[in-house]
Amino acid sequence: MPTAIQDDLFTPDVIANPYAYYGRLRDEDPVHWNRGYELWVITRHDDLVWLTRHHELFSSAVFKNDPRPAYPPIDESDLGLYDYVRNYQGDQFIQHDRPEHLEMRRVMHSYFTPKSMEAWRPFVREAVKDLLDEAEKKGSMDVMRDLATPLPVLVIAEMMGVPKAERPYIRQLAEKLLYIGRGEYDRMKPLTEGMRGMIEYVSPLVDKRKVDPGDDFISVLARGEKQGVFTRHQVLVNTSLLLLAGHETTINLLCNGTLAFTRHPDQWELLKEDPAGRAKQATEECLRYDSPVISIQRIATEDVEMRGKVLRKDDRVRWFISSANRDPEAFPNPETFDIFRHPNQHVAFGSGTHHCLGATLARVEGQEVFKALAERFPNLRAETEELEYQPSITFRSLKALPVTWH
Amino acid sequence: MARKLKVWVDHHSCVGNAMCEAIAAKTFRLNGDRQSEVVDPTANTEAEILEAAENCPVSAIFVEDAETGERLFP
Repeated sequence: MPTAIQDDLFTPDVIANPYAYYGRLRDEDPVHWNRGYELWVITRHDDLVWLTRHHELFSSAVFKNDPRPAYPPIDESDLGLYDYVRNYQGDQFIQHDRPEHLEMRRVMHSYFTPKSMEAWRPFVREAVKDLLDEAEKKGSMDVMRDLATPLPVLVIAEMMGVPKAERPYIRQLAEKLLYIGRGEYDRMKPLTEGMRGMIEYVSPLVDKRKVDPGDDFISVLARGEKQGVFTRHQVLVNTSLLLLAGHETTINLLCNGTLAFTRHPDQWELLKEDPAGRAKQATEECLRYDSPVISIQRIATEDVEMRGKVLRKDDRVRWFISSANRDPEAFPNPETFDIFRHPNQHVAFGSGTHHCLGATLARVEGQEVFKALAERFPNLRAETEELEYQPSITFRSLKALPVTWH
Repeated sequence: MARKLKVWVDHHSCVGNAMCEAIAAKTFRLNGDRQSEVVDPTANTEAEILEAAENCPVSAIFVEDAETGERLFP
């Protein structure tokens, strides 16, 4: 008789290897009711595509529309802080539905078109070169600390016009914001410190751009306030969101992708044969194989039937990119890391109206990093097989990735 | 008189972001799979159609001059 599926999503086993746990759910119970957190766990590729493209059935206004308490539970004395979190998160444009979501997204959308992001490629290439020059001098690096973190922080800070000296502070705040996807009982304190810190930090920047706009991204958001699309609090929250989203997920792409190459020397050889020609396809496979984002949540807006089960209005619905991208119905040999995989219709950036705004930027950064690593460090290998992940069900984040190339 | 355009959407790439429909509503419409389809390539101006193509986050929209075959986007 098969063993029952345990519902704690934060056990060390599930955090270390989400593919085994969510893969089992995908095979045995693809629309699974998790009793512990009172939420539906959706794990199949076609269900995920269907769900994300039916935004009218699944609200993204999760914090505004979820009547239940925080999960996993938090300390009772932190309930006031949780209200602050709901209010902060609720003002993010990604936490809105149409028609407001479309109006808000349109303010920012033209800044992030594939063509305009492509224009950042030379800047990204130069930044990668500088970081790898530094690493080469040292003779080894922690990919997380020395490459994957500084690169996207540098790029998004440049887009926002954040001075160089202040970038480490942004990263400090961002690390506190990552408690949003975690399970610690006392996580509200660091999380709200990060949120308040971000608001305080970006406030004067927004004031300045409102009277003296430039071509940076904060000016784009400030213009949204002038047009009446955003309130001031929304501008502040969305500036913080883009500072975070603009780097956190890319960090994971760069680390998880590099790790995949060190564990699959045959694929590393193939990339090295033609780094410039193969980096694009290789980056897509990195996005699929060990996706930067594990899962995202919605709230059902009405009763919806999926695979014979009824998701009730207001139920929490969480969709798992990590399992959808390894669904054998969508990908032949899904557990194989194959940089020539084609077609590769992964859902690392989600789908539908909320498809990742920064997808092209993430792709450009991934392509430039994997290409440069293959060209400059042909003998790249991981220094240890003992790696640890952040205890999150939102982000697939390594704590460190030491590598060498001698 | 405006030139005639040939406009199509690659359904291997289209993720149903629907920005094209928001920008050029008379030309693009989401189908039952929530992917974009061209319903009438003459219904919006050329500028609107090109704006929609440029704003597609996965570059799934292609635009050509229907008579000369000249690629206008991407």
